[in-house]
Amino acid sequence: MSALSAVVYREAKIRATNFTFIFWDLFFPLLYMLVFGVGVNSALGAPAGLGNVNYNEFFLAGILAMASFAIASNTSWSFFLDRDNGIFYEMLTYPMSRSEYLLGKVIFNVFIAVLQAALTLAVGRLLLGIRVHWPRLPLLLAGMAVGTAGWFFFYAIFALKTKRNDVFNSVTSVFYFVFMFASSMFYPLEPLPVWFRRAALLNPITWEIDWLRLTSIGIGNFRSILLEGVGFVAFALACFIYAVRCLQQQE
Amino acid sequence: MSEFALEVESLVKVYASRGKAPVRAVDGMSFRVPRGIIFGLLGPNGAGKSTLLRMLTTLTRPTEGTAKILGYDAVKKPLEVRKRISSVIQETAVELFLSVKDNLLTYARFQGLDKAMAARRASALIEEFQLGAEVDRKVQDLSGGFRRRVQVAKVFMVETPVLFLDEFSTGMDPILKRQMMNRLRAEVEKGRTIILTTQVLSEAEDLCDDILIINKGKQIARGDLNTLKLLSQGVYDITLAFDCLPETIAAEVATLVPIRSSIDANTIDLTIKTEEGRVMEIVSALSRDRRVLRVEVRGASLEDIFVELTTQEGKDIA
Repeated sequence: MSALSAVVYREAKIRATNFTFIFWDLFFPLLYMLVFGVGVNSALGAPAGLGNVNYNEFFLAGILAMASFAIASNTSWSFFLDRDNGIFYEMLTYPMSRSEYLLGKVIFNVFIAVLQAALTLAVGRLLLGIRVHWPRLPLLLAGMAVGTAGWFFFYAIFALKTKRNDVFNSVTSVFYFVFMFASSMFYPLEPLPVWFRRAALLNPITWEIDWLRLTSIGIGNFRSILLEGVGFVAFALACFIYAVRCLQQQE
Repeated sequence: MSEFALEVESLVKVYASRGKAPVRAVDGMSFRVPRGIIFGLLGPNGAGKSTLLRMLTTLTRPTEGTAKILGYDAVKKPLEVRKRISSVIQETAVELFLSVKDNLLTYARFQGLDKAMAARRASALIEEFQLGAEVDRKVQDLSGGFRRRVQVAKVFMVETPVLFLDEFSTGMDPILKRQMMNRLRAEVEKGRTIILTTQVLSEAEDLCDDILIINKGKQIARGDLNTLKLLSQGVYDITLAFDCLPETIAAEVATLVPIRSSIDANTIDLTIKTEEGRVMEIVSALSRDRRVLRVEVRGASLEDIFVELTTQEGKDIA
């Protein structure tokens, strides 16, 4: 337990004393909502086939998923920073197991993701008038937590397997593009070509977004989204197990 | 609990990469280190010192063999090992985004130290390592030497029974280095065991109770300074300073086949392996008909022993 709290303490100290980290984790996704979201909402209006849901409301789940994806990606990049600083290897000699190290990091990231979600929901409600289904808030926050953890473990695998920062940055740039655009983040999947829709349905970020959309504004089929949720948990667990293995192979 | 701080048995580490021949960085080492001493691991670059240390500190898994720290197997019980060690790795390892003070406090947190104790020890170490003026600065804003100080200071936050230091004095000024050496001796008196690697042989000569010289992943020689000097009996350092360096001196020195030699301004230094009775003959021959300002003849230093042993290809003296 003390090892986990030490990892959380370290992450918190680093984040709390560096404004740029706070900006990227907490405020950058809000800019997407307030600039991109408002722009599309004003120019194109409501997405087709979603009743009286406007684009700001539709995009809310996309913003939340984007935040959890970005927080996970930023934190996994910190493996490179830590490796360059040498502290990564020193930390592996501290009295903690490899899984405690990963879990400690993820606990802090989940906390940041939940905080970011609360901030996004508050800003969305107050500035954009988004109608949030508040009774489902615990399910939404659970989705943020599992989503952030899953993406962190996923990215950690690449960060631990890749030795060069430039290679990792290229990989994450491609991931950003593919995962975000081949999903239900920016647009509904129904009007899209069949092949695109199928690809998006295989994308774990679609599963996360669908869950967040259902629990935030009540759109979606509960049964199929529950299935997607189970799929995402399995994805997160598989990534965790493999990430621990990668960490154990660090030499 | 084991009476030994370290027990290493037939330890092998092979690095294999695609398309390249496997490298045996550590090749069948076996040794034991009693508790409460300073144990030095010496060897030229690439000898396998750091790989050995990485296996002992649970960073790297051995390919074969076992390594036990205070009786705990580094592979089977890594967490038990980590609870009993602290280490200064060769690379600079600091939290760049944290202040000097937060570096120490964060380290203490990982080691399970309570807050009050951590604060007390951090204050004392900040003073001892002359970090007072930098205490609230982020480490990324400090010079390499100061970063190293922070890194080394951290391991004194705790009192783990075994301390690993991989070239700890890199980047330290001579005064701090001297102070650190005194500190290490004091730690050993308290019962800690210190395992260190160094390239600065005078440091090992001053500090180590027991020395293991390794080369190409194998043990070459083991013992305290006096034992090692016995291995190198017949090795002498000769220094001759002339008023004017003779033109033919380099050629004359070369005919003596020295272990090493150097010429600086009007002074020649050579290390030579010969019989005791021949030393004065050599000095006489080199100074004949020349005006010599200074003559020094010394027995072998650790550096001589090190050079001699690590350049003897294939000869196992240990």
